[in-house]
Amino acid sequence: MAGKPVRPVNAIDQTRRMLSLVTYLRERPGARIEDVARAFGITEDELVSDLDVLPMCGTSFRGGDLLDIDTDGERIWWHNPAALGAEAAEPLRLAADEATALLVAARAVATLPGLRESDRQALLRATAKVEAAAGEAAGASSRLSVTFESEGGVFADVDRAISERRRLWIRYYSPARDEVTEREIDPIRLVSVGHTYVEAWCRRSEARRTFRLDRVAEIKILDEPSAPPEIELRDLSEALVQPAAEDPEVVVEVGPGGRWVAEYYPHDSADELPDGGLRITLRTPDPASLRRLALRLGRDGRIVEPRDLAASARQAASDALAAYDDATGAAGMADAGGAAGKADVDHAGDTRVGGTSEGGPGAEGFPGAAGSPGVPGASGAAGSPGVPGAPQAVGSSGRAAPEVRGVPAGSGGLDGRYDRQEQGL
Amino acid sequence: MAIAKAERLMNLALCLLGARRPLSKRELRESIEAYLEAGSDDSFNRMFERDKDDLRELGLVIETVESLDGEIGYLARRDSNRLPAITLDAEEAAALGLAAKVWQQARLAGAASGALQKLRAAGLPEDVDPYEAHGALEPRIPVHEAAFEPLMLACRDRRPVVFDYRKASAARPETRHVEPWALECWRGHWYLAGFDRDRGAERVFRLSRITGKVRSRGTGFTAPVPDVVTVRETVASWAGEIADRSARIRLRSGAGYPLRAKASAIRELGDGWDELDIPYGHGLDAWLVEFGPDVVVVEPAELRADVVDRLRAVAKG
Repeated sequence: MAGKPVRPVNAIDQTRRMLSLVTYLRERPGARIEDVARAFGITEDELVSDLDVLPMCGTSFRGGDLLDIDTDGERIWWHNPAALGAEAAEPLRLAADEATALLVAARAVATLPGLRESDRQALLRATAKVEAAAGEAAGASSRLSVTFESEGGVFADVDRAISERRRLWIRYYSPARDEVTEREIDPIRLVSVGHTYVEAWCRRSEARRTFRLDRVAEIKILDEPSAPPEIELRDLSEALVQPAAEDPEVVVEVGPGGRWVAEYYPHDSADELPDGGLRITLRTPDPASLRRLALRLGRDGRIVEPRDLAASARQAASDALAAYDDATGAAGMADAGGAAGKADVDHAGDTRVGGTSEGGPGAEGFPGAAGSPGVPGASGAAGSPGVPGAPQAVGSSGRAAPEVRGVPAGSGGLDGRYDRQEQGL
Repeated sequence: MAIAKAERLMNLALCLLGARRPLSKRELRESIEAYLEAGSDDSFNRMFERDKDDLRELGLVIETVESLDGEIGYLARRDSNRLPAITLDAEEAAALGLAAKVWQQARLAGAASGALQKLRAAGLPEDVDPYEAHGALEPRIPVHEAAFEPLMLACRDRRPVVFDYRKASAARPETRHVEPWALECWRGHWYLAGFDRDRGAERVFRLSRITGKVRSRGTGFTAPVPDVVTVRETVASWAGEIADRSARIRLRSGAGYPLRAKASAIRELGDGWDELDIPYGHGLDAWLVEFGPDVVVVEPAELRADVVDRLRAVAKG
C-alpha cells in the first residue's frame, strides 16, 4: 500500500485535508509542494503521504476513475482532472467542529487586551464572514469560550517593541522573592496561555526569560535596538516550564483541602493518602520559593522535605504571629489573641476553586505553566495590578532578610532552568 | 494488507459527491475496493455505518433516500454540501491563520486546520504569514483535562452526562448527573456550566476535578438552557475576584508588590511599614498569609482571625 504514512496520522484529519486538497489542486496545475504544504499548514512529508493516497481514490476504483495525481518531488500534477466533475470538487461546507474550533479561537484572540486595533478588526470581520458561511454549523460555537488575560498597556508596548525591534526597560515583580527588580530585555515573542507572557532575552542575566505581563510593574520602550541572540524557540505546547531532573526534590503532604496543589504544580508523583489527601513529590530549582506554598496551605498541608524549608515556613508563621500578640509592636493589635479562637473557618467549601496565589512558588521558580498561569484560586493577585499604583520604595526595604531569603529565588524569569544562572546574585 | 481508513473514507466521500442520484449500499460496496475486501456482510455493514458517521463529523451532509422498490439510497447533495461564497482579504486571512493555530487539543486543532484548509480550497489568500502580520504573538488554548473532549461533544449535541466529581476539599468523589450547557476556559483552566439533576440547580464544575470517565446518557435535557451562560463570573467570585468589602493591612516597606497594585489607598507610616486598603473578597486570608511576617491585618477582625488561625496551623507544623 503506497499510502503508508511516515508517522501516525489521524484518518479523520487526513481525509478532511485530502478533500480540500483535491479542490485546491484542481485549480492549480503544477502547484509547488512547498507552497501547498504551507497553505495547508502541514509538513511536506504529510503532503507527500496524502499524494500517495490520492491515486487510490476516485468516484470508483473501476474504469479509470481513480485520480491520476503525481509529483516529481517539486510540483504536483493532476493528469485527469475530469475524473472528478467540477461539481464534486467544489469547496465543502464547514463541519460543526470546524466552525466551532475556528470561531472560538478567533473570538478568544480578538478579546486579547492590547491587541492592535487593526488586527482586532480583521479578526472580527473574518469571524462574521465565517459565521455567515458556516450557517447552522456555527450554532454550537457559543457553547465553548476562552478568555485570555493580559495587561493591555503592557501588551501593546511589548508588541510595538517587537515589531520595531527595540529594547524594553521593565520593573518586574518576582513572587518567589517578593520583590520588584529593574531589567532591560530584548523581547522575542508574546505567548498567551490563559495569562500572557513575553519571552525575552534578559540583558542582566544574559539568559532567556519569560515574564508574565501582569507582573510588569512599569515598562518603557527604549531607543536602543533590541538584539536578542539567535535562540531556538521552545515548543510551548506542553508547558512553559518543566522542572529539570536534577532539581531538588520537595515533598508536600496535603489534606483533602489541599489537593489543588496537584492541579497547579507539575509533579513527579501524587500518591493518595488514607484521609483523602495526597503526598506530592515535585522538583524545583528553588525550593525556598515554596515557603509561600507552605504558608498558604495552613492546616490543609505541610512541607515534609526538605526539612529546613519546613522549618523556615514554621519560623515565618511564628514571626508573623508575633505581630498579633504584641500590642505595642505593629500598633493597635491589642486584641489579636481573640482571633485564635476562631478555628474552623473554612473558605474552602464547595465552591472553592482552590489555588495558590499567583505569587505561589508556581509563579517563578516553578511556574508549571500548565498549572500556575491559571491559578484562579487566589486573588488574581498579580492578576490585576494596574501598572499605575506601583509600589514606591522598591529595593529600599529595610527589613532584615529572614534566613530563607538567603537562598536566592529564581530571577524574574519564569523558567527555572534558566533562572538558576542568576542564583547567587 | 488492509486498506488505510483515510483512503476508504476518501473514496466513499468522492463516490457520494460525484453521483447525481442516490447510491445504494450495494453500489457503494461495488465501487469501493476496501468494502469489497471487507469480507462478510456484517463486517462491511459495520464499517460502512462507521464511515458514514465519520464523514458526517467532517461536515458532509448525507441524506438517506428510499427508492420506490424499498431500497435505501445515499445522497450527498451538492447544494447542501457546498461552502457558500466567502471572500476574505489578506488581513482577515492572516487573522484566521493565527486563530487556527491556537488549539492545543488534538480534535479541535485538527478541526481548526480543516476549516482553514476548506477556506484555502475556496480561495482564501495565502501569502501573508500570520506571525509577521501580528508581530510575534502566540496565543495558545491549553487543554490538559481528559474530560474536555467528551464534554465538548455532549455540550454540542446537548446530551446529558454522568461523571464522578471531587469537590475541592472532599476526600472522595461523588457521582453527578449533569445536563451540560457550556465550557469556558479562564486563566488556563476549563470549567463546565450545566444543570445538576440531583441538586435541581445550575452548577459550575472544574474539569480537572472530574475523576474517571465522562459517560453519556441517551435522554434529552429536562431543564431549559439559559440564553446566556456565564461561567467566568461564577468562577471569579469563588476566586475572590469579586470583593464586596475592604480590609486594612500593614505591609513592610518594599514588600508585597501585588498587594500594593491592588490597594485602593497606600499610606506611608514612616516606621518601615505602610498601611494599605485592599479589596476583601474570598480567599484574601490565604493570600495574605503567603507574605508571612511582612503583612499584618488591622481590620476587619474576622480577617485577622482567619489569618491568625492559618498562621497558627503553619507554626505548629
